[in-house]
Amino acid sequence: MRPLLLQGHERPLTQIKYNRDGDLLMTVSKDKIANLWYSHNGEHIGCYVGHLGALWTVDCNKTSTLVITGAADNTARLWHAETGRMLHTWDLPTAVKRVEFSHDDQYVLMVTEERMGHKSGIYVFAIGISRPEQSDEPIVILRASGAKPTVAAWSYLDKFIVSGHEDGSLSLYDWRNEEVVQTAKAHDSIITDMQMWKDGTYFITSSRDMTARLFETATLEPMKIYKTDAPLNTATMTPTQDLVILGGGQAASEVTTTSSRQGKFESRFFHKIFEDEVGRSRGHFGPINTLAVQPDGKGFASGGEDGLVRVHHFDPEYFKFKYDY
Amino acid sequence: MSSATAQASKTNWADDVEDQEFPSMEVITNADGTKTVIENRLNEDGKRVRVTRKIQEKIVQEHVNRAVAERKQWAKFGQLRSDGTAKSSVATTIGEVVELRLSQYAAQMKQQEIEAAEQEKAAAVKSSKILCRVCRGEHFTAKCPYKDTMTSAEDILGGGAAAPAAEEAKAGGPNAYVPPHMRAGAKAFGAGGRAAGSLGAGDARGDGRRDENPTIRITNLSEDTLEADVNQLCRPFGPLARVFVATDRSTGYCKGFAFVSYYDHESAEKAIAKLNGHGFDNLILSADWANGGK
Repeated sequence: MRPLLLQGHERPLTQIKYNRDGDLLMTVSKDKIANLWYSHNGEHIGCYVGHLGALWTVDCNKTSTLVITGAADNTARLWHAETGRMLHTWDLPTAVKRVEFSHDDQYVLMVTEERMGHKSGIYVFAIGISRPEQSDEPIVILRASGAKPTVAAWSYLDKFIVSGHEDGSLSLYDWRNEEVVQTAKAHDSIITDMQMWKDGTYFITSSRDMTARLFETATLEPMKIYKTDAPLNTATMTPTQDLVILGGGQAASEVTTTSSRQGKFESRFFHKIFEDEVGRSRGHFGPINTLAVQPDGKGFASGGEDGLVRVHHFDPEYFKFKYDY
Repeated sequence: MSSATAQASKTNWADDVEDQEFPSMEVITNADGTKTVIENRLNEDGKRVRVTRKIQEKIVQEHVNRAVAERKQWAKFGQLRSDGTAKSSVATTIGEVVELRLSQYAAQMKQQEIEAAEQEKAAAVKSSKILCRVCRGEHFTAKCPYKDTMTSAEDILGGGAAAPAAEEAKAGGPNAYVPPHMRAGAKAFGAGGRAAGSLGAGDARGDGRRDENPTIRITNLSEDTLEADVNQLCRPFGPLARVFVATDRSTGYCKGFAFVSYYDHESAEKAIAKLNGHGFDNLILSADWANGGK
């Protein structure tokens, strides 16, 4: 496949996300800019300009009319997707590491950092799409009793919020009642990414302990483990073909022994069910920080430490792959 | 009249050349439906470049939902910097072809690749007479099983075996490289085997010539001793043929010793007599013959 190289950021990428229809790609980076692209040909549409610090996270609603970003300037901002106009700014005590619209777009969760005496928390705000003003009062603030949350996601029917923590544990919150329903020890090291399956019943997590794991949302029961030899920064699942894609750094042992050819950082493809590695896609000049799969499964995109976004469209051979068992 | 036409044709010819080489773009529609686009332009080095592209256009109809189609009409935004200039750094390019071969045997294949590479390396090492400095085995010193211990080659092999092993290493086979100081006929170390800067001349003469001159060795020099210091110190005893101060390559500090060659034997004798036990830069120097008793 011939990937499209999207050069729109001068600093490492922190998150990329497709919209639900898959025709738009949003990329955010530590260079304070959020970019919007057409995913089909990589054409740049516009920049959301206004944050004063490194952007950590981005999401958009199901109708692709609103974009929300979270940054290290202790704010989360709401944007009009089409024009780039800033609609609202939420001021938070610390940096915002993860934002996500709920499945029904009525709420947004924000995971804040732990810094300078402020405890980290998961804030839930209501989003009013029909009114211009947004509420600055969080509906609820979820505090973790143990290690700070690094990532979070909405479960099926927005019933729960699942969060992954710095010590590798997971928590399941009944957020309307501010209760912790379940915790589980999942990874041995910080959880770096969490991506939910489209119906919210299971999710994949990646961690610096060099594994990615699949968990059932309702029970936090581990279902699969994908073992690699490098600390992972991101993991995602393909909607078709039963594959998961993992991205991360480079195994320490490979640093000096591999050839000096550039572009050797790889996205690793594993079979979701058989936990076997089935392929790699190389090309990044630095560790891969974020991965996203096109919702129709026909392509994927990766954002790296090198500031580049690579948008891939799968070849026909990809769709012919079948795992023999 | 003929001259007038001759002149006219000269200028015409020059113009003609320019015109021919430089239509900037030509599009030719071919018979089979493809287009040939010929472009003449200047490339980065200022050279004229002619690029010919053969293009086949295919129209693909894609069915998308209405929202997606509407979004294709979105205007660009946020692309100007605060002072109104365009952001030049945003670009989309097509990357190199990347192969994604999915195979359930991918892990095994990778393992085999690694093993093959390792075997190749080991074979290469074996054939080039790599000898470990610690135990004289056929591996790199860093890979030696005895690397961490303080034993030397002799201890491991047991005294007698060390000497023949050393011999073998020296000979190294017919084509092995033998450093000059180990070649047959090399003068002993201390007779001044290295081409360091001498008294300003700074040239490297041939090996044999160096040091028929009487040479003394001065030790216990301080770290910041320079060649100039040693010059100054030794000059009173006679004209100096060569001065070599041993310095560490990476730090530049003096290693603590130096070799000084005089043109005549008496000067060297006097130098040894005076400098041995002489205090210099807070250290007591030792001075002796470089070759031991000449």
